[in-house]
Amino acid sequence: MQRILIITILFMAGLTGLAGQTPEERYSQAGELYSSGDYSGAAAIYRKLWDEGFRSEDLLYNTGNAFFKAGDNASAILFYERAKLLAPADEDIDYNLQIARSRITDRFETVPQLFFVRWFDFVSLLASTNFWAVSALLMFIASLALGLVFLTKSRARGRLLSFWLSIAFLTISLVMISLAVRGNSLVNNNRKAVITCSIVTGRSAPGETGNELFVLHSGTTVTIEQELGAYMEVRLPDGNKGWVSSPCMEKI
Amino acid sequence: MTVLVFLSACVAAAAQEISLTVDAPETVAAGERFRIVYTINSTDGQFTPPKFDPSFTVQGPQQSTSRSAQWINGDFQSVSTTTLIYYVVAGTPGTFAIPSARFESKKTTVSSPEKQITVTAGGTSQAATGQTQGQGRTSGDAPASGSDVSMKLLLGSREVWAGQPVSATLKLYTRVNLSGLQELKYPDFKGFLREDIETPPLRSLETEVIEGVQYGTGVIQRFVLYPQISGEISIDPVEMTVLLQERTGARDPFFDDPFFDNFFSSVSTVPRRIATQPATIRVRPLPEARPADFHGAVGSFSLESSISSGEAKLNDAVTMTVTLKGTGNLNLAGEPGINFPQGLEKYDPKVTVRGGGTASGTKSFEYLLIPRNTGTFVIPPVSYSVFDPEQGKYVTLRAGGFTVSVTGTPGQQESPAPVYIPGEDVRYLGQDIRFIRNGNGRLKTVSSPLIASLHYWLWFALALFLAAAVLLLRREQIRRNADIAGLRRRKAAKNARSRLAKANTMLRSGKNEQVNAEVARALWGYLGDKLRIPRSEITREKCTGLLRERRINEDLITELERILTATEYSQYAPVSEGESPAALCKRAATLIGRLDDLLD
Repeated sequence: MQRILIITILFMAGLTGLAGQTPEERYSQAGELYSSGDYSGAAAIYRKLWDEGFRSEDLLYNTGNAFFKAGDNASAILFYERAKLLAPADEDIDYNLQIARSRITDRFETVPQLFFVRWFDFVSLLASTNFWAVSALLMFIASLALGLVFLTKSRARGRLLSFWLSIAFLTISLVMISLAVRGNSLVNNNRKAVITCSIVTGRSAPGETGNELFVLHSGTTVTIEQELGAYMEVRLPDGNKGWVSSPCMEKI
Repeated sequence: MTVLVFLSACVAAAAQEISLTVDAPETVAAGERFRIVYTINSTDGQFTPPKFDPSFTVQGPQQSTSRSAQWINGDFQSVSTTTLIYYVVAGTPGTFAIPSARFESKKTTVSSPEKQITVTAGGTSQAATGQTQGQGRTSGDAPASGSDVSMKLLLGSREVWAGQPVSATLKLYTRVNLSGLQELKYPDFKGFLREDIETPPLRSLETEVIEGVQYGTGVIQRFVLYPQISGEISIDPVEMTVLLQERTGARDPFFDDPFFDNFFSSVSTVPRRIATQPATIRVRPLPEARPADFHGAVGSFSLESSISSGEAKLNDAVTMTVTLKGTGNLNLAGEPGINFPQGLEKYDPKVTVRGGGTASGTKSFEYLLIPRNTGTFVIPPVSYSVFDPEQGKYVTLRAGGFTVSVTGTPGQQESPAPVYIPGEDVRYLGQDIRFIRNGNGRLKTVSSPLIASLHYWLWFALALFLAAAVLLLRREQIRRNADIAGLRRRKAAKNARSRLAKANTMLRSGKNEQVNAEVARALWGYLGDKLRIPRSEITREKCTGLLRERRINEDLITELERILTATEYSQYAPVSEGESPAALCKRAATLIGRLDDLLD
């Protein structure tokens, strides 16, 4: 009883304290909770920051860690996947994601992506979408300027050079635009989702009438193919498809 | 044979007195089947059975007759016996009288004595004597009285926690003579772990009075049951075959003596299957939220730890012993998890159990530790959680830790083949996720992507538009510049000719000094326009250089230089000394005409 009382007081104090705190203070407070072993408390604060729209690879990484320690593997995987979209080259995120994945029930023989798709995705995530967009714009302007040089300076010695440079800059600009579009679709229009229910049945049709095709457990990552009402058609990592109830998954 | 019967009929009738005896138990249990036996030493006559109490269920009689004839010391004796057996089941407890039975022969009528039978309540009687009714009797042989032999499984407790030991005693109750026990068959005790306790073999029975009935009792086997699962667990009956010593044949009315009784009536051994009643034990599961250091020990225990020495030489073994003492499932208590410091090599403990079960005992874990590095090693205190069934909760026991200081030099290691080991591989102890990142977190709110907004793409359009505008303007300017130069070039000859014409006019009006200057101006102007040289930059060298570049005949260039030299010279020298201005003028006109043909 006494313990419950103390917890309640702490919780209330935490709530009142939260009202006047900056996001950074709350972030470091969650870090302290994590260090002291209150993983659920830390996860709650991190999750709230995410819900309020704050993003950073550190925040997502810490959220994943807190959920992992609190025993919620599915949420941990979800946040590691999200962190990976912000920092694809971060080795810590990869490591922790691998550990979290090793503790889920479902095992799949995954079909690997084509290497150039993988590389392209990786590069597109190396910088933010807006970085690529702004760079593409600058490159385009540079390409235009060089094109002007080529078109106007009739007798200048660098005429040929300016022509080729202009073409090169234009190509780079186009590549950067496609990187921006790809990065945007990966980060903001992701079709991947993580199963959050401990167990869920995949059926051949949306609703309860379809034949049961497979059973998924929490933590499995699936690709959403289409949505219909409260059901989503998902593609499993091994390529199979089925309809799964939407509340049982969360988009990355 | 016919002769013998005839003899017995005539002789025995005269010589013998008829008697009617009754044999019935004094105490029976309600619901128990027992026998009432009437024996008559005559064969011809009418037996009238007594009127049994209505609560009795009577079967029978089973009637048997026997005759025997013998000569003893020259006397002929003939015995004929009639035995009537009633099988009776008493329905209600109480004391009942069995009235006399009568036997009428031709000569006389005899009555049996009245009997009192005490019927005890069925439940208590069964609890005391067990239940053996209904066990299949071997066909043919006369059944012995039902509850004479029984076996009971006495349990220490009917409601326990999972893992809590239950003492069980298998006990035999008998009212008849037994010659042996056979085929003791235990059920598989599903859900339990059985541990036998050493029990001395059953040699003699003790006397015990239960519900006023005397029984010979004896413990067949004691054991301890450890429940492994929770819930209502039933224990199937324990079965055994007992060998009953059963008297068969008639009791001799004359020699009512145990010795003769045994002597004359034959005793046969009859096997009988008996079984205990099935029992149920309620096993409560251990509460969830088990402490991490709970290793299955249920009972009331104390924990002690000891170490052989606090100081050790490198590679010399040290023994640490953790002893669990008390009552409970010592056998199932797991090894305590001790985090021995790295550098102390730990071997699997030697486990010794003494006693245990429902009695007090000890279980010791003897760890052999070999220090592989020098220094001071701290063995943390041992914490071991047990479940105390009396308190109904987990109790954490603690025993002290130790500090071991290890001395010695690594080189003195006595190994048979010294091997140089360059280093030690890093030992990985476990796997966990990496720690969180502290700091300010570099939090940013979500910004909508630029490529999704229209104004981003408008920037491209704007840049393209600007570039196109710049290009157009520049083109226009170039075109205009090109026009100015072209105009000047096209009009160069015309201008030069008009200047020369002006010079001719001056010549006629006698202004000779100004003619040369006008010719020079005409030439310079023509060259400047034609070769696109600004007025301020024009020099003779630049002009000749440009003309040579355009592959103009060297003669023309020499002519040009001459004319120019002449005009310059005449400006500073008297007119008479040079060429006439008219000739110069003419030469200049010819030169311009020829140059104009060559220059575009």
